[in-house]
Amino acid sequence: MTTTLPPRPAPGAARDEADAARPATTASPATRVLGAAALVATALLVLYGLVISPADREMADSVRLMYIHVPAATYLYVGCFFTTVASAMWLRRRTPGWDALAEAGAEIALVFSIITLGTGSLWGRPTWGTYWTWDARLTSTAVLTAMLVGYLALRRLELDPAARSTRAAVLGLLLVPNVIVVNRSVEWWRSLHQGSTLVKLDPSIEGTMLVALMVGFVAFGLIFAWLMVHRFRIAWLDQKADGLDLEAALAARRAESRAPTAPETEVTP
Amino acid sequence: MTHAGYVAAGWIGAGVLIGGYAVTLVRRGRRLARQVPPGERRWS
Amino acid sequence: MWRDAALVAGRDLRIEARSRVTVHQVAPFALLVLVLFAFALDPARSILERATPGLYWITVLFSALLALSRSAALDETAGARDALRLSGLDPSGVFVGKSLAVAAELVVLEVLLGVGVIVLYGAEPAGVGLLAATCLAATVAVAATGTLYGALVSGLRVRETLLPLLLLPVLAPVLIGATRAFEAALGRAPADGWPWCGLLAAFAVLYSVAGALAYGTLLEGS
Repeated sequence: MTTTLPPRPAPGAARDEADAARPATTASPATRVLGAAALVATALLVLYGLVISPADREMADSVRLMYIHVPAATYLYVGCFFTTVASAMWLRRRTPGWDALAEAGAEIALVFSIITLGTGSLWGRPTWGTYWTWDARLTSTAVLTAMLVGYLALRRLELDPAARSTRAAVLGLLLVPNVIVVNRSVEWWRSLHQGSTLVKLDPSIEGTMLVALMVGFVAFGLIFAWLMVHRFRIAWLDQKADGLDLEAALAARRAESRAPTAPETEVTP
Repeated sequence: MTHAGYVAAGWIGAGVLIGGYAVTLVRRGRRLARQVPPGERRWS
Repeated sequence: MWRDAALVAGRDLRIEARSRVTVHQVAPFALLVLVLFAFALDPARSILERATPGLYWITVLFSALLALSRSAALDETAGARDALRLSGLDPSGVFVGKSLAVAAELVVLEVLLGVGVIVLYGAEPAGVGLLAATCLAATVAVAATGTLYGALVSGLRVRETLLPLLLLPVLAPVLIGATRAFEAALGRAPADGWPWCGLLAAFAVLYSVAGALAYGTLLEGS
């Protein structure tokens, strides 16, 4: 029996209205500020790195590649650190945010590792005469890149999400320990043949060169943060979208079974 | 500037890689955000 | 746990004894790789001789991939997985058992390859103590790491291609250490080989512990 009272607004209607107004993007006021800051810092880096700072006494202008190479290598390790810690936390707490963080850290670490290898290689060409030297840092970074590719490959597998996340988490947990062991072994091995490492960070480094390097760290840090936030949100939305797909499929199955004239179809999962 | 080619290649390469990746992220983020109900995106 | 390990090791080795995959397929493959290296590197020049430690350990690694893939496959059928989970066996025990079974197979392969290298590459055995210790440590390292990573990729259609991608970068220190130790033992390098053997032993311990701890999570999770 129906009444003629006007319908009462559903609970949380005000919140739903606010939700509907949210734009369909992973951006937010915070990331816009972050992005703007990153652009400013990058502009400063270009200024200091390419214009203001002088060429090195030994390396000449190729030292300018170091203002990218060193920060990139640093944030590569930071990304790996995020993946390992997030993997550990996921194994303990099983909340999806940690899983998303692990995925984000690894993918961004991969981007930075490619930059590290690329700039290191381009630096090596004029300095050592070859694009690749088996020095400790490049070699370790190459191995690390392979590990990251493997980790991301594991993440893309067709598995039920819980199993996939568990396996990825175990692999991610081992990432930093593996990196440490590989780096130590490679350094020890290469020290038998080479005395120097790729970058001799001279403590008496010329003032503006040091400033350029610092600006590099800041710029890359902001870029890293911006990328991380967006990639994290993407991973987060991905999980939600998967969940929605699953719900939709289940709802369709239920609807099928309830319909009186539903044909006997055997849907194999 | 000596070694200008290498320096340029490195800086431009890094810029293109990061910039391209950033663009990919933004586009993927927008695509995914459209698929998911607004209630799930509590950051804007 | 050790009893469970012995049970699982026994089962894996018995399956191997019946099917003889290691003997009939992996071992010939390993020897074939040695032969292929000779084709590639021209025995007339002294490259083969000088490269023997490296070639030996690369062959071991490739053969190990096959053995590990097979070890993972043994527990992939739905029946086997459920049986393992419901059996009440301690997961660490399962891990140790599987690792020991693979390690046993690898030791046999390494001895065989050692003979192969002496015969085919003219290597002269020296520093046998260091050689044996290195083989032991490296074998445990490879078996433990490989069993853990095998569980990460078990049940997947892409197991065969993903396992090498995941495992080989991680085993880089083992390859580096084992080769340096062998070089020292054979008198090819001035440096002392025992510290490298120590690195291998540390690696072996690290991954044995990691695997024992993580195996339970992986068994449940899949």
